Amino acid sequence: MSNQKKRNFQIEAFKHRVVVDPKYAEKTWSILEHAIHEIYNHNASGLSFEELYRNAYNMVLHKFGEKLYSGLVATMTAHLKEISKSIEAAQGDLFLEELNRKWNDHNKALQMIRDILMYMDRTYIPNTHKTPVHELGLNLWRDNVIHSSKIQSRLLSMLLELVHRERTGEVIDRGLMRNIIKMLMDLGSSVYQEDFEKPFLEVSAEFYMGESQKFIECCDCGDYLKKAELRLNEEIERVTHYLDVKSEVKITNVVEKEMIANHMMRLVHMENSGLVNMLLDDKYEDLGRMYNLFRRVPNGLSTIRDVMTSHLREIGKQLVTDAEKLKDPVEFVQRLLDEKDKYDSIISQAFSNDKTFQNALNSSFEYFINLNNRSPEFISLFVDDKLRKGLKGVSEEDVEIILDKVMMLFRYLQEKDVFEKYYKQHLAKRLLSGKTVSDDAERSLIVKLKTECGYQFTSKLEGMFTDMKTSQDTMQGFYASHPELTDGPTLVVQVLTTGSWPTQPSITCNLPAETSALCEKFRSYYLGTHTGRRLSWQTNMGTADIKATFGKGQKHELNVSTYQMCVLMLFNNADRLSYKEVEQATGIPASDLKRCLQSMACVKGKNVLRKEPMSKDIGEDDAFFVNDKFTSKFYKVKIGTVVAQKESEPEKQETRQRVEEDRKPQIEAAIVRIMKSRRVLDHNNIIAEVTKQLQSRFLANPTEIKKRIESLIERDFLERDNNDRKLYRYLA
Amino acid sequence: MKRKDTVKLISADEMEFVIDKDAVMVSQTIRNLLTSPGGFAETKLGEVTFPEISAVILERICQYFYWALQYSR
Repeated sequence: MSNQKKRNFQIEAFKHRVVVDPKYAEKTWSILEHAIHEIYNHNASGLSFEELYRNAYNMVLHKFGEKLYSGLVATMTAHLKEISKSIEAAQGDLFLEELNRKWNDHNKALQMIRDILMYMDRTYIPNTHKTPVHELGLNLWRDNVIHSSKIQSRLLSMLLELVHRERTGEVIDRGLMRNIIKMLMDLGSSVYQEDFEKPFLEVSAEFYMGESQKFIECCDCGDYLKKAELRLNEEIERVTHYLDVKSEVKITNVVEKEMIANHMMRLVHMENSGLVNMLLDDKYEDLGRMYNLFRRVPNGLSTIRDVMTSHLREIGKQLVTDAEKLKDPVEFVQRLLDEKDKYDSIISQAFSNDKTFQNALNSSFEYFINLNNRSPEFISLFVDDKLRKGLKGVSEEDVEIILDKVMMLFRYLQEKDVFEKYYKQHLAKRLLSGKTVSDDAERSLIVKLKTECGYQFTSKLEGMFTDMKTSQDTMQGFYASHPELTDGPTLVVQVLTTGSWPTQPSITCNLPAETSALCEKFRSYYLGTHTGRRLSWQTNMGTADIKATFGKGQKHELNVSTYQMCVLMLFNNADRLSYKEVEQATGIPASDLKRCLQSMACVKGKNVLRKEPMSKDIGEDDAFFVNDKFTSKFYKVKIGTVVAQKESEPEKQETRQRVEEDRKPQIEAAIVRIMKSRRVLDHNNIIAEVTKQLQSRFLANPTEIKKRIESLIERDFLERDNNDRKLYRYLA
Repeated sequence: MKRKDTVKLISADEMEFVIDKDAVMVSQTIRNLLTSPGGFAETKLGEVTFPEISAVILERICQYFYWALQYSR
């Protein structure tokens, strides 16, 4: 099938109805313009959405989008100018309400317009990169209404005035405020910031500056802080109710700066109500408030901390150097514990257990406890007192609590070895006189010391306990093997290992015949079971119970020291003895003898002996008689127990000296240890290392360390380097 | 006949289609129309007129609505 003429088929796209009418655009636009007018006049009910949408669609389709857009801009601007005038006309308080109402209207109209012009929004605008309808509406509102010269300043001043009114206690319309602020936020965060937030912050700063000035003149610290806290909370509440969330941080900073940071020093040091007074009066609430408020400003907490530390050190120093308080060591330590308790509770209740404050507390305590070099002795005496009688009847947990507190004070000591010495002495006296209230408490304290300082510290103390136990077993064995002795005087022997117990030079005295025979029997028994050991009797540490019958037939049981027993037994054979005779017969050293005679003859209520002449002091020529007229309410009379006391001056010097002596080998051992591992070290480093190693026992003196180094060099443990005088080398 | 939420669509040649609201909301345009805050005529009466769409096409559109409801969710 061939045709002459080729028919070209062309498939044409389905075309929309071609628009011929040149006025088409004009007509369509006027329809839309009319519609916009109606919308702004709240008259939309007569309009057909579909028709308007169709018209806008057609305009864009036929490339009249430009006309539509610019027409829209013009129409809206015109309307907004009118609206602006009506808002300006509003009087006084109605200004904001009018603004709010018109804004709501505008929003509604804008949405309707956007719906109608949706097609343009979706196609024409992205293509030409113009602002979308909604945003355009907001921008036009901003430019024509908010930034219009008459409205802008008036708006701002009204808003600020409302805030000011609320701050002075009036109630304002918060809903209205919220809407207006939201409007500003919707217009863009820069609008909000420029037109409101910045001036708001400035005005607030001025306000609070003035207010803080006023308060600080008339209030005391606690009241001022209360007011500051109130204002701060008020501002935070204000933000949640009608401001932008991001403003919270900014306004709180302003308040903090004006009310707190600027007056910090003045508040803390305020007379009669500042930080120091709060600490003294335990004002937990005020302190807690101060802590919370100061935490918000830089350097707030460190200021509090510094003042607290210096105050603590002051009080502590007074405490430890007050001569009155030092008379009673138990009292002294109790006061220290009380102070610690007080500050612990302040920190836990008011300062929410802040670690930095705990550290400040600890360092202050450490500082002033070590100011008094008798602190270790006093703490040991405190423990001694507690273990003798203070803990009687106290429950187990309370015992633990008290011991833990003592351990806490112990940790603050720098000279722990001094404490060890005193503790050993006091423990020895307690054990030998059988005066300890609770064996468990003693052991528990030793365990605590062991955890704190290591095995070395407590090995001797534990040795003492073991000795006591072993002695009991030995005694049982002794009496079991010598059944014939059960009739005679009962002997109780404590066998003490020389290394563990604090040594005292002892001079044996002459024991009365009955007892010495018994002692010999014991000695042979003991040496029979343990060969290669040496026993020496420590007669200055023993006690004796004697039954005595006096002139009128009164029977009493006397509890006396061994020396006193020897003296009294002499009176079994003689009625009258002179001092010299007693001294010769017993062989007791003079000072001890004088003391024990004094306690038996001159003390009221315990005068089992009568002395001529009746003076307080013992003279060489005094004569002694048994006091037949001796009376006592009790059957058992205790005379002359040896109580642990505060050392007298010479004793103190002696103990100090011994401590120094003990330190020397420890320093040397530390030096050798360090040099062995390092081989070569210079002077300063050695001193630093040694001090660090010995820190847990005592504070080493650099001069002392130097002396020890010299001594080690002499003994060929170390040598000086030939080239560098400061360098030391270890010699194997 | 149960009375659910319905909308009436009227074509150019006056054919009326009664469609469920859910189906009609598939179209963004009609959705905006019906949910516009202003008091347009359509929202009050619950019917939308399309003077430029024929019945045949409108019918197809309605079928599309229901298909979209069923398969696009």
